[in-house]
Amino acid sequence: MIEEINKGSRKFQSPRWVSIKLTLKLLFRTPTSAAGFVIMLFYIGTALIMQFAPGLIGISDPGYMPPNFSNPFPIPPSIKYPFGTTYPGINLFPAVFKAIRIDVFSAIAIVGAGAIIGTLIGVVSGYKGKSVDQVMMRITDIFFSLPFLVLAMAIGFILGRTLNDIIIALIIVWWPIYARLTRGQTLYLKNELYVKYSMLSGNSTIKTLFKHIVPNTITPVLVQMSVDMANVILAIAGLYFIGFAATSPYLPELGSLISYGFPFALTAPWTILYPGLFLLMFALGMNLFGDGLRDAFNPKYRS
Amino acid sequence: MKGTYQLVAKRIIYAIITLFGLTVITFILSHAGGESMVISTYLNPQSPVPISIQERNLEAEFHLNQPLYVQYLYYISGLIHGQWGYTKTPIFSGPVITAIEYFLPNTIELSVLAVLIIIVLGIRLGLISAVRRDGSVDNLIRIVSFLGVALPAFWVGLLLQEAFASNLVSPFLNRLPLTGNVSNSLMIGLSWYQNGISYPTHFIFIDAIIHGDFQVAASNFIHLILPAITVAFTSLAVVIRMTRSSTIDAMQQEYIKTVRIKGIPEKYVIKYHAQKNAMIPVVTVIGIMFATFLSGVVLVEYVFSYPGIGGWIVQAFIADNLAGIMGANLVFGIILVTVNIVVDIIYLFLDPRIKY
Repeated sequence: MIEEINKGSRKFQSPRWVSIKLTLKLLFRTPTSAAGFVIMLFYIGTALIMQFAPGLIGISDPGYMPPNFSNPFPIPPSIKYPFGTTYPGINLFPAVFKAIRIDVFSAIAIVGAGAIIGTLIGVVSGYKGKSVDQVMMRITDIFFSLPFLVLAMAIGFILGRTLNDIIIALIIVWWPIYARLTRGQTLYLKNELYVKYSMLSGNSTIKTLFKHIVPNTITPVLVQMSVDMANVILAIAGLYFIGFAATSPYLPELGSLISYGFPFALTAPWTILYPGLFLLMFALGMNLFGDGLRDAFNPKYRS
Repeated sequence: MKGTYQLVAKRIIYAIITLFGLTVITFILSHAGGESMVISTYLNPQSPVPISIQERNLEAEFHLNQPLYVQYLYYISGLIHGQWGYTKTPIFSGPVITAIEYFLPNTIELSVLAVLIIIVLGIRLGLISAVRRDGSVDNLIRIVSFLGVALPAFWVGLLLQEAFASNLVSPFLNRLPLTGNVSNSLMIGLSWYQNGISYPTHFIFIDAIIHGDFQVAASNFIHLILPAITVAFTSLAVVIRMTRSSTIDAMQQEYIKTVRIKGIPEKYVIKYHAQKNAMIPVVTVIGIMFATFLSGVVLVEYVFSYPGIGGWIVQAFIADNLAGIMGANLVFGIILVTVNIVVDIIYLFLDPRIKY
């Protein structure tokens, strides 16, 4: 009898686990989103290997691209240099993989921080309503009235020119989109019965927000985050490309690798081709994954 | 319609508040570096007045020894009176206001051409995609549109330059110029073109036509093709996707069924009945897309050495020129606020049901 109950309990699956399994199943149903998922795993895996065990693939210094001034000009791809070299004598093959680590982790930091800050502001703004909401939305309007690259340049000018400054500048630029998204969601959720019940039963505002509203804003935020990973990595690369972090020239980053190839683009196409392809692959993968996630979270397909 | 006009008024008031907030941001950013940083943005390097006297005058003019809110008022009055500071970059040195006069028309020319490509091609391809839903053409268009979102604009620009400089493309296309906005050799000795600014409208293309100089207009146009295609390609996907999904939605409405039952050919069902309603969400998406679009313009202008606001802000950034960065920020802000308000108003008139 007790054994039977135990057997039964082993079969029991928590509803959250069932829901995650359903999401994954829906993701793998379409080949494009499955491809996006695999590409994302490849990049995150590369970043993790580079962070914790770069020796595994024979790379000793993941935060530095050694220049070679005795032979600074680009050399075409060969067995010794699978992707060729770029100015000043940087071996592109290890440099690209080192750059993936920095790009992926920076993008995760920016999107993560932007999503947390934006969600908190958006949820409070939508829930409080009235003047709080008005002020918050006018502030996000101001941020939306500037192209993100331009605003990031202005903030970066004040902060400084290191990787950390780029990350902070892009967080300042990126939170408003999450604030708008979660505010809209909150306005809708506020009229749901369970939220009203929670308010009426004397729960504090904070408890209602975190127990009933925030968990229900997570799915659109996750979709937005996966698409934004692509946008943010393109923004970081764009800022590096225009020489945002000229003070640390040997920090591996895909955009700065392209900017080294810029003067040689016409004579040595490989210098811009390989870093750009790795940038494109990541952005494409995250977009496909985000699109798949959007479908997988869609109640129409879930039932 | 009375309600619509009230909503338009409300949108305009919001836009004014936004512009006001924009100046607060540029004020904070340009005053964060302290008094010497503020003075450096207004110093005129070409003026015969010695630097020390200029500094003293500027401190008095902008009341830099007073509290920040007083300084803000003088900052605003400076902006209104055309005191935007002096920019010093390899491509332009002089007052920011003149720099804007020099660069802004070029950026508008490029943006208008790119937006035209986006709207014409985006709506066309989106419609084809929707009508041939899940067919091979639809899948191809979707793949291209995914590539468009994921491609870094500056990288596409570099690859296009590479392709057009090599023997990959036909000899005719080889003649497409890779940098700049007009052939400089054509501009020598023209009475209506001085120091890079054309008169009377400042738009080289329009001025050339006014003066009957069609060779210059053609040269200007072929210089625009590559950068415009680059910018358009990276923003095209948004419009294609929105047109596709909203057309699919519109095709499933009841009134479309009615039209079909009446026996109207499918071609006219789409052209006269589905398309119009499907365009409403597309208009909003064009407004939303524009911020990303302008970020692309910045990088593309830099890659193609195109003399626009975007190329200027990058050069100002490289040259550590605060006045240029803040001036370009304000210009981009004004462009974006204006575009958004126009889109909102178009939207209100397209769909009178909407209430904010």
